[in-house]
Amino acid sequence: MIIKKKALPRRTFLRGMGVAVGLPFLDAMVPALASGAAKKPPVRLAFFYLPNGIDMPNWNPDYTGKLGELPRILKPLEPYRSDILMLGNLTHNYARGLLDGGGDHGRCSANYLTGAHVKKSTTEIHVDGPMSMDQLLATHIGKQTKFPTLEIGMEDPRQSGSCDSGYSCAYTNNLAWKSSTQPLPPILDPRVLFERLFGANADLTPAERARQSRSRARVLDFVQGETQKLEQDLGPSDRHKLDEYLTGIRSIEQQIERASKDETPVHPGMAKPAGAPVDFGEHFKLLTDMLTVAFQADLTRIATFMITREGTSRPYREIGISDGHHPLTHHGGKADQLAKVTQINEYHVRNFAAWMERLSTLKEGDGRLMDNLMLVYGAGLNDGNRHLHEDLPTLLIGGGGGTLKSGRRVIFRRETPFCNLHLSLMDRMGVEVESFGDSFGRLAGLDVA
Amino acid sequence: MQEIKLPQPPPAAARPPRPAQLPGIFFDSDMGANIDAVLALAVLYGSYAKVKVIGVSVSNANLQAAAFCDAMGRFYLGGAQYYAPVGLSENGRKLPEAAMLAKPLGLKSAEDKPVFSSDVRSILDTADTPIVLRNALLTQKAGEGTIVSAGPATSLVRALSMPGNKELVAANTGVLVAALGSFPNGAAADPRVKADVSAARRLFAEWPGPIVAVGTELGSALPYPGASIEADFSWSPNHPVAEAYRAFRAMPYDAPSQAIAAALYAVGAATGSKNEFFQLSEPGTIEVLEDGRTKFALGASGRHRYLIAKPDARDAAIKAYTSLASAKPAPTPQRGPRPPQANAPLKP
Repeated sequence: MIIKKKALPRRTFLRGMGVAVGLPFLDAMVPALASGAAKKPPVRLAFFYLPNGIDMPNWNPDYTGKLGELPRILKPLEPYRSDILMLGNLTHNYARGLLDGGGDHGRCSANYLTGAHVKKSTTEIHVDGPMSMDQLLATHIGKQTKFPTLEIGMEDPRQSGSCDSGYSCAYTNNLAWKSSTQPLPPILDPRVLFERLFGANADLTPAERARQSRSRARVLDFVQGETQKLEQDLGPSDRHKLDEYLTGIRSIEQQIERASKDETPVHPGMAKPAGAPVDFGEHFKLLTDMLTVAFQADLTRIATFMITREGTSRPYREIGISDGHHPLTHHGGKADQLAKVTQINEYHVRNFAAWMERLSTLKEGDGRLMDNLMLVYGAGLNDGNRHLHEDLPTLLIGGGGGTLKSGRRVIFRRETPFCNLHLSLMDRMGVEVESFGDSFGRLAGLDVA
Repeated sequence: MQEIKLPQPPPAAARPPRPAQLPGIFFDSDMGANIDAVLALAVLYGSYAKVKVIGVSVSNANLQAAAFCDAMGRFYLGGAQYYAPVGLSENGRKLPEAAMLAKPLGLKSAEDKPVFSSDVRSILDTADTPIVLRNALLTQKAGEGTIVSAGPATSLVRALSMPGNKELVAANTGVLVAALGSFPNGAAADPRVKADVSAARRLFAEWPGPIVAVGTELGSALPYPGASIEADFSWSPNHPVAEAYRAFRAMPYDAPSQAIAAALYAVGAATGSKNEFFQLSEPGTIEVLEDGRTKFALGASGRHRYLIAKPDARDAAIKAYTSLASAKPAPTPQRGPRPPQANAPLKP
């Protein structure tokens, strides 16, 4: 590390022509002789939400304690099992029918981060809670980053109409709720996310956007001067880190440009977002790569990611499945249909694992970026065939800034509120809340091996 | 962007009317300490045409008690049904192993499988009682839930400490029927009170709704006839109630029915039916003395009453005990199919 008289501010941006590119955590940002909190990178939290439940017998291992061989669906994550806490028996009771009857898909996604009862309506959307936990976190720590939160998704922008048994599409298509009546729709289009992250073209008209696109100028071209200037002040390690980071951004931009030229519809009758690749895996990779950049550059510390909307009937032709996901989950015990559900579950994990592979190589401070992440990968339903809301499939990945002892399967008592996890996560983000949703305490044992 | 037309449900008028929800009863007991708790739970399950058991918890810390309750649920509701996990109080008293639980749970079939199966193998297979109670009451409309307590007040008092539970109990519970105490002024303390005097005092002082108490004196006046075990339960080659009854004490014996009376009264109260077997005292307040004895003071504003047996309905009440406790399981599922138990069995 090069010791300088004055450290580079953490929130340094490379600027130029309406563009602002944040920087990853560099050695030069650590004040000379700094120690403790000043040296410690922040903890970042992201939720990856899976729709339609999981084929649970191929998700839950038949053991507890140290993670060993992972079941079929989770196999792609085996190289990273030392970073995984597999949680069992967490329950979202308010997603159950209670007195409202059918509509489990409509309830479970809106309830996932709010922990609240959801009003059964297609016109008067309302969750019986102040906001989702990500937004609650944002009210406390959101000002520390350029974006208090990021909402990302991969499918279906509808915010009205009925998507499940009298529940509005606003419930199935959003995870984040800024208030009891205001969901925050996820960004589906990688180009829109890119422009949001780097400030490029944000306020341009479509005509101006097209003109700029034709000029083939890319984000990094606009900040070339500042980049060269900064590089002169960096040590070799930081220069290498910065080069890798900017190469990643360049690659993302190139992929978006390629995707923009492909006008193949993603779903019969539905146009794809302009900057979104047709292929699920490519779309997922683009979005997660940008989330990586957002975390590296500390543009946000809180994100939600809907891996397709709840109740989706998206086919997965990428893996030879032309049936819709949701109808398949109601397999009624038919082996061929269930096998396809398992394949879809596996496919999602495979794509997530590919991102993990990229993440796990990234350094941050004295350790890895992964050490400072908390990624919750899971579903709002257990078995999609039976619409169960107990033992929700949940992985907690990353070190949580040294507050999680991973590499284990931890099972709690049955009916333990999922909101207890929310409290435990918020604690680790530095926000201590007495209760949230239907919480009844924190989860014990996340930090004890 | 073109909107996808998704299949819509038919308009409300075209849908068949939903069957009315049965009134729900939550049952908390010191299962394993006395045989009347087993019979009380049997009476509730046997009343399946009128009420639904919405939750079960045990006030002691015995895993075996939870396992037995789980097995009872499977027996009455059928092995393929789903029902809520049993609540267990980790802070409850630890009872010595009870033969009335161990014997039926230990019975094996010719294929060396448990005759009465249970998913409860560790504390993880049970739930915290405050959560079980809350989740159960959330399925009830305002004022329609009923709670039967047939054990020390330990777990119910703890359940009240959960944020929001006191308000939920006040809103969604019609009455708590507590087999607790001796009335009007008992000469001796009820063992269920003595087991946790502090909790009993708090229950009567802090419960946010009406309480109907059932005393030991009523249980002694209307004993459950031991002859019923051989006469009424023989329709099943193995019956958990009969096995527990035989294991509890040397046969033949009649059992005090304090908890059974509480269950029988609760079924009537939950369904709003005419009270055939019991009458209620005038309202008042129950106080728990230091030594565990209970004292009832009349007062029009009091929220407590105690149950009194109608002298002319003694035989009818006992007949109701035996017929409901020995009723065959519900012929149709109460809920959807039971999910696979993905977490069990676990290797250590």
